[in-house]
Amino acid sequence: MENTMQPMDQREMMTLQHYLKEYGQQAEIFMSQLELLENGRLEAHAAIEALEAMLTAEDNTLLLQIGGGASVRAKVLEPEKVLLAIGAEVVVERPNKDAVEFLKERIIEMEASQKKVAETLDRLRSQMNEINKRLESGYQQTMAEQDAD
Amino acid sequence: MFGGLREKLQAARNRLSGSIQAAEEKQEAPVPQGAPARETPAVPEEQRSSGTAPSFVDKVKILIKDRELVVSEKDVAEALDELEMTLLESDVALPATDAIITHVRKGLVGKRRKIGESVDHLVVSALKTALLDVLGSGFDLTGYIRAHPKPVKILFTGVNGTGKTTTVAKIGSFLKKQGFTVVIGAGDTYRAGAIEQISVHAERIGIKVIQHQEGADPSAVLFDTVQYANSHKIDVVLADTAGRFHNKANLMSQLEKIKRVMKPDLVVYVDEAVAGNDAVTRAFEFDKTVGADAVVLTKADMDSRGGAAISIAHTIGKPLMFLGVGQAYDDIMPFEPAKLVDELLDGES
Repeated sequence: MENTMQPMDQREMMTLQHYLKEYGQQAEIFMSQLELLENGRLEAHAAIEALEAMLTAEDNTLLLQIGGGASVRAKVLEPEKVLLAIGAEVVVERPNKDAVEFLKERIIEMEASQKKVAETLDRLRSQMNEINKRLESGYQQTMAEQDAD
Repeated sequence: MFGGLREKLQAARNRLSGSIQAAEEKQEAPVPQGAPARETPAVPEEQRSSGTAPSFVDKVKILIKDRELVVSEKDVAEALDELEMTLLESDVALPATDAIITHVRKGLVGKRRKIGESVDHLVVSALKTALLDVLGSGFDLTGYIRAHPKPVKILFTGVNGTGKTTTVAKIGSFLKKQGFTVVIGAGDTYRAGAIEQISVHAERIGIKVIQHQEGADPSAVLFDTVQYANSHKIDVVLADTAGRFHNKANLMSQLEKIKRVMKPDLVVYVDEAVAGNDAVTRAFEFDKTVGADAVVLTKADMDSRGGAAISIAHTIGKPLMFLGVGQAYDDIMPFEPAKLVDELLDGES
């Protein structure tokens, strides 16, 4: 394929490097956002599992993780009632079933957000690829010039 | 933008309309046989005392009044409770939620639906008024710049990683397109690469940037920027600063120094819409500590809930100026409350 790219000067190469760095920083922010969303999604799934298991647990007894790999057997006083943070730092009491529904809706919301962030990240990465290609061609051009000298 | 909130508000709107319609049908239901006759509208005292029969006009008046629907507290109580939950679930701050519910209740209870007016219209009108009241009037930056002595100095503050530097560039590009001359002060001398970042942005949009080396005193950079603007008759100074949390005393005192030195006309707080209620809380703390005249919310295109955008103006009492809605320089829109409310509430019921 014929190379249609114009020769690059040092100044343009530096600008492209700046762009690449900046896009890289932006991509990092979006990646950490994606990670936060994924953690939230997994947490909600775990909560749903626990809430559903609570209703069928014998004698209302559950294994409660207290950190550091330690667990204790705990008896849930009211497995039918759940205190749920619904947003805006407000906690409300909901029936177990409603809390599960709420968490399922949250998961759908988080998945939609994940999709949007991932799309933005893909766009950024493709821009970074373009810049990388352009830089690569610039480096080769510089090397060729140096060899000719 | 705010797709989740729009869906939930549409559902709340339908629920409210449904409740009122159900109440209306109950009022209009035919009287079953054997049941006590429906009370006839009261004849005014003066007519009874005069002993004359009601005229045709009076009869029509009574008929119209009889056909009108008066919304009672009971008719909408349940739907309002659901609306409250909907708003809280969308991360709308509690004070803003309370204000919206109070407004909607006030707009509906005791209200007579006019003949020919749809119940949905009544509900949408009450919701729109309530949301507009909470959203405030926005902030017309171009109008402000035109009305004030030049250069208008705008200082951007906020926590780390919310997109302050990019916002400065976007607003610079927006103002340039509106015909203003702009200079940017690279006041974030703390974060590695921040000066480079703002310089690249400024070069791309064709705006002059004043910069010192990394680690320099930001007050000095911004003082020089204002001096440059004065000597070159520039309309607007956009001052970027390093991100900081309101509880870091040394960084906050640095911001105080910047304010003393450059004497900004506007202090703009920048945060991300996706932070939801956290953004509202942080804006409140920033306003308490260093003051803020307006707010910019970034990444609004990725925010499905819209809680921060709805509550921030009401909670901190400062207007929302711009919403960042994407990666390109043009992806910033002046915040227009009426437009947002229309987008949230208009559509098929």
